[in-house]
Amino acid sequence: MNEILTQEKSIYIQIREMIENDILRDILLEEERVPSTNELAKLYAINPATAAKGVNLLVDEGILYKKRGIGMFVAKGAKRQITEKRKKNFYEDYVKSLLAEAKSLGISRQELVEMIRQDGDR
Amino acid sequence: MSKLTAKGIVKTYGKKDVLHGVDLELESGKIYGLIGRNGAGKTTLLSILTAQNPATRGTVELDGQPVWENPKVLEHFCFSRELSQTSTSGAAAMKVKEYLEIAATYFEHWDQATADRLIQEFGIEKKKRINKLSKGMVSMVTIVVALASKAEFTFLDEPVAGLDVIARERFYQLLLEEFTQTGRTFVISTHIIEEAADVFEEVIMLDEGQILLKENTQELLERAYHISGHEEEVDAATKELEVHHEEKLGRSKGVAVLLAPGQTLPQGYDVSVQKLSLQKLFVALCGEEHV
Repeated sequence: MNEILTQEKSIYIQIREMIENDILRDILLEEERVPSTNELAKLYAINPATAAKGVNLLVDEGILYKKRGIGMFVAKGAKRQITEKRKKNFYEDYVKSLLAEAKSLGISRQELVEMIRQDGDR
Repeated sequence: MSKLTAKGIVKTYGKKDVLHGVDLELESGKIYGLIGRNGAGKTTLLSILTAQNPATRGTVELDGQPVWENPKVLEHFCFSRELSQTSTSGAAAMKVKEYLEIAATYFEHWDQATADRLIQEFGIEKKKRINKLSKGMVSMVTIVVALASKAEFTFLDEPVAGLDVIARERFYQLLLEEFTQTGRTFVISTHIIEEAADVFEEVIMLDEGQILLKENTQELLERAYHISGHEEEVDAATKELEVHHEEKLGRSKGVAVLLAPGQTLPQGYDVSVQKLSLQKLFVALCGEEHV
């Protein structure tokens, strides 16, 4: 939860990703309370409505759940769910831009595959 | 929930029109940012909304009640003005202590404990005259008044002017603390847009006496992009889009783009697409015709 906000993405998307990262790294554990939107707002000096928007995206996905009057909690199986989601988005998020850059540099698919294979041997 | 509604506000000073027909609706429980160039009419608008200055034409109402000379409404308002450092009369000539005493009697819901705590934290010398303080210290006095007023609708005019970066960050923290605890409505004008952008739930851009836009800050920024690359490619990619602030260097061209709500970026062009910050968007929208 202590990453720094950047200009490149919407703030609430970054809030979502930071909570996800903390879950993946066991900084936030399943069934544990996550910081409240007010706490997030103060920490990052952002509007609480923006923080809430990020948190609510995770609630909609079932990664966090609400306990009335207490706060937001990490759902059981959240870690696995985030991993699966990121795997599914891996092509869009990483491979597509990799292929575009390779194409503009004239790197063939074969060369690309070779690079990946070599990296695996290292 | 309360609503502050301004309709058709015109303000004329002599022959000069400062505001030409401003319509604005502010809901309670939000932090609004008011941004605009020097002379855009920000201070005039704030002073009219808070009934410290009569509009030439138009109305301001809180939940249907006129604001002008209406103590029932005005007890919920605080307009913490920018204080002059150079003036030798009025508030500027007072000692900080005297100014705060007047504020304490004027504001119905004044919280002396908050005022004392902030005075101490900021290290404001209460015995000094306001026009003997540094610019940053003067701003801090206006911040103390705004926060301690506990007014439901609080308006701050350039609260961070002259504050160093650490004091500015502390101000936003204090503001958010107060906001999350009380849900008070804040309207804040500022020229330091970049660092305040994330604090504002909604942003109001005032340009030459007119409201250019009023929108949820995050939703606005989701429509704002910078597109650059080969001129022909950029032109093709942005043909259908609202384009601002073109810049060219040789064959290269960059433009700011504001998508219409629901519109998406065209795909398949060899261009760089970057997100625009609120400050860059403001420059693109308000810095175009005149420098």
